[in-house]
Amino acid sequence: MATLTADGRVLQVQLHGDAVRAVTGSMVAFTGAVQFKHAGAGGGDGMRAALKRRVAGESVSLMECSGSGTAYLAVEARQVAVVDLVGDTLSVESESLLAVSPGLTLDVKFAGMSGISSGQGLATTTVSGQGQVALMSEGPLIALEVAPGQPLVVDPDAFIASRGQLSTSFVSGVSWKSLVGEGSGEPFSIRFDGAGTVLVQPAER
Amino acid sequence: MKTWSASSLPDVDNVNPYCYSVRLAGSWFVQKGAMIAYYGDVRFDAVTAFASRQAWAAASFSSPLYVQDWVVAEGNGVVLLADRGFDVNSFDLAEGNLTVRATNLLGFAPTLELKQSIVPGFVTLLGTGTFLASSNGPVIFVEPPFRADPEALLGWADCPSPAVHHDAQWMMASLRGALQGAFGRASGEERQYDFTGAGTVLLQSSEVQREDPALLRLVTEQALQLTPQQSGVLGAELAARARQQQV
Repeated sequence: MATLTADGRVLQVQLHGDAVRAVTGSMVAFTGAVQFKHAGAGGGDGMRAALKRRVAGESVSLMECSGSGTAYLAVEARQVAVVDLVGDTLSVESESLLAVSPGLTLDVKFAGMSGISSGQGLATTTVSGQGQVALMSEGPLIALEVAPGQPLVVDPDAFIASRGQLSTSFVSGVSWKSLVGEGSGEPFSIRFDGAGTVLVQPAER
Repeated sequence: MKTWSASSLPDVDNVNPYCYSVRLAGSWFVQKGAMIAYYGDVRFDAVTAFASRQAWAAASFSSPLYVQDWVVAEGNGVVLLADRGFDVNSFDLAEGNLTVRATNLLGFAPTLELKQSIVPGFVTLLGTGTFLASSNGPVIFVEPPFRADPEALLGWADCPSPAVHHDAQWMMASLRGALQGAFGRASGEERQYDFTGAGTVLLQSSEVQREDPALLRLVTEQALQLTPQQSGVLGAELAARARQQQV
């Protein structure tokens, strides 16, 4: 079984005759016999996923790394973190996805209006199943717990991923609206209710 | 990875070197865009809108140039502040004064008073309280007499405002510098800030700059003092430069 290990700003992928999907062009070095090939328009999930992604405007260009050996992946010296999934679903901002281990399914979930403020498309990418997901962020990730009666509000530009039973809504203070167009303020934010964990980065895209 | 919750986040401390947590019971001044997440019941209002209800805010924030880049966070909750993945440091002032680069100031307690520094791009904080500033790399503290590169300068405390030092020797020493000087263009290295007196100078270990939205407003404001003829000359010069940079 392939394993993903985060090492600061580099992801180490140990392959044992299986395949890992990773962001196209993220390979910086490899040892052993590893092949890299384009995973196709659907990122390896077939035509339906490709169409959905096209409609949603979520652009994930993935390659398949297969064989035996170690591949080193990195993008723009961004910080790497690995999240273990045990049959649950992780919602990821598509720009933050670095690699997924075999057996995980990528899909697109429409998230209402979140894309309008952040320019990140109208949907988020979901990863579900049993395995590992490698995420990238500007600066180390911060995990924030959401519990019933303890909602969390996040700037869409700092949002990286979320998991758990969460519902999202949009906060837009009346006063915020008057600030739109005057620069880099948060015109509106995403509010998470329920029970789960939200990962944010200490920077804004 | 440690999971933080509203109750486990620090009251006023770093979550990690790049993120700072402020437990709010009342109000704080926050730079627009610095908030990355918050728990609880917190409202964010433009400083001008807030000051129309609470007059003290206008007195604490006396800089019309920067006022539109700032908001007041008010309520009960925990606010997380960060800036481009830069180091975030907190500083405590006790009846003191500290001048800091405006784009690197992320937030400050309303017990402090903000004023515009005479040095463009910098603001001065007066009084007692906590403020947060970001730096690209750890902050370096040095004591005057000292000359600093304007880009690496983060701020200064207790000493008089710097004078601009024009290093003629540097320009003569390098052919490139001399040529650029002759054409009236500067590479930047020959212009330094000269600090004297007793105090502390704060430096960051990088020269990466963020576009200061107030700079345009500052220049526009000052350009109003020009005569119509001078305005025409400046306009032509700027237009020529914009064309040159496009190519």
